[in-house]
Amino acid sequence: MIKPLKIIGLVSVSLLICIAIVWYNTVPKQLTVRFYPFLGNKPLVLNNAKYPNPGGEGEFTIRDFQFFISNLELTNNRNNYKEQESYHLARFDVGKAYYEITISEISVSNFQQLVFNIGIDRKANGTIVIAGDLDPNSRMAWNWQVGYKFLLLEGSLFTQEQQQPLVYHIGFNESYTRLNFPLNSNTVSNDGIIKLKVDILTLFNQAELIDMNEIPNVKFDPEDVAKIANGFKHFISIL
Amino acid sequence: MLKMKFLAAVFLVCVITTVASIYLFSINKQPDTQLVEFTTPFVFGRFQIPQDNPLTVESVKLGRRLFYDPLLSKNNKVSCASCHKQSLAFTDGLALSVGVSGKSLPFNSMSLVNLMWGPKHFFWNGRSSSLEDQALQPIEHVDEMGSNLDDLTEELSEIKAYQILFEQAYGELNAASIAKALANFQRTLVSSNSRYDQFLRGEVSFSRQEEFGRKLFMAHPDTKVSLRGGNCIDCHSQFLTSGFSSVFDGFSNNGLDDDINLAEGLYGLTKLEAHRGLFKAPTLRNIAVTSPYMHDGRFKTLEEVLAHYNGGIKRSKTLSPLIIEADNLADTKAEHISLNLAPHEVLAIISFLHTLTDESFLTNKAFSDPFKTGELND
Repeated sequence: MIKPLKIIGLVSVSLLICIAIVWYNTVPKQLTVRFYPFLGNKPLVLNNAKYPNPGGEGEFTIRDFQFFISNLELTNNRNNYKEQESYHLARFDVGKAYYEITISEISVSNFQQLVFNIGIDRKANGTIVIAGDLDPNSRMAWNWQVGYKFLLLEGSLFTQEQQQPLVYHIGFNESYTRLNFPLNSNTVSNDGIIKLKVDILTLFNQAELIDMNEIPNVKFDPEDVAKIANGFKHFISIL
Repeated sequence: MLKMKFLAAVFLVCVITTVASIYLFSINKQPDTQLVEFTTPFVFGRFQIPQDNPLTVESVKLGRRLFYDPLLSKNNKVSCASCHKQSLAFTDGLALSVGVSGKSLPFNSMSLVNLMWGPKHFFWNGRSSSLEDQALQPIEHVDEMGSNLDDLTEELSEIKAYQILFEQAYGELNAASIAKALANFQRTLVSSNSRYDQFLRGEVSFSRQEEFGRKLFMAHPDTKVSLRGGNCIDCHSQFLTSGFSSVFDGFSNNGLDDDINLAEGLYGLTKLEAHRGLFKAPTLRNIAVTSPYMHDGRFKTLEEVLAHYNGGIKRSKTLSPLIIEADNLADTKAEHISLNLAPHEVLAIISFLHTLTDESFLTNKAFSDPFKTGELND
């Protein structure tokens, strides 16, 4: 009587162990956040592609596009995972379809939300601390009084009359914007990848469409900066 | 009988063990080296040293001797130091350098300063992606030092001093260890005691003119908020004053030529049209002693350089939009690209540039010619 029970017991335990191993190996151990740059529905192609001026005449090209992502967290109801030295400079170079951040050694299924910020937090922005991609000798460093550029967009606008440079350097503490995205089976693939769309056009399409002829550059004027930085709220979405 | 056999066996084991130990010890033997102890300014930020070439006292000593040794050239008359003289912050004062062939090279001699920071690509056109890779190219170049590396290696291996130095530094004498030693000596060439560095450390104050020049250097002009600026910081980082270190961000087209006359620059490496005419933004440390300026040495004085940015810019397809846009007058739609700085502002910027001269670097014995200082005992 005992023998068959023993066998059943052994088989059940073995089966449970096998299932656990298989399950453990298929649960993603890292989260990869991928940022795909777009202009509206068109993927960003540097240098050669021309895009219509959102609020006026002409077409523009983009030579460079970079922005800071910082203080990344994964949250659930009970506890949060905070990435250390969390300062990433998202850059989009020729031949690279996306920019990615990988968070390793975490169990993705434990968390419900991905949180990060566009720009640099006030404290780090006011120092020359070297953490993550923060580098006071980098292209994104404005100077040590103003801190960093949060977003850099450079290119050219072509109209019938002329070609003029486009220079958007967006910074200032007020522009720091927090964003969050749900982490679930709809948004995260089986191998732990969440794809996000970065839509540059949203920066020029807030209260009204921005005419690049009228505002071809934004640097230190607080009103102009706010016009563009207001777009940070809608800048990134699930792809 | 048994005792004899046992003793013989023990003896055999001892012999085999001894021979094996000697053999294993000699093939695994790495030179016993000592890392260089040094500190670097916090404001310079991070740097990296390749894992396969740790910065050792022995490799630096070897590299320094090689750097100053004319034996490395075909005619035994040209050393690295011929075109990179310490008193000129390791430049040579010529528009275009001249080597063994007597023919002018296409480029101006670059200052060898703070090489562990700034762009990770070397030469004006960025064609080399490490100091180790860069070091051998002038040695082999027909117009620079014109040597054959195999012949050179053989020549060096016949000199007792080099036998010892290579053995101590790398345990071997070959092209790779020549390159590594030169690279490591160059890594030690750190300039961080100019008046600007002393100012950053709070040790000195600037004059009114120098401080005004510093503020102009660090500002991208914005007429909307009445901010005047020289825009230097858009290409020359605020503390290092060199090009940016990430990817190719440290390369720019700064308007020296129109499309017809534009040299290919970084395009030669990447084959991207967007990189045509882009050149490395060099460090401005010790800029007052490293004339003439630009990749072809076309400007003799800092005044000429400022005049270029202040009204001499030539348009081309890849001209930096930052240069076109930067203007201290409100109307940027003018045909004429200029910073529109006032004369006293130009003088102030030049005054700030002079604060980047580091006398202790230019005279530091550790970087000087060991053949002249009597340090060599061979």
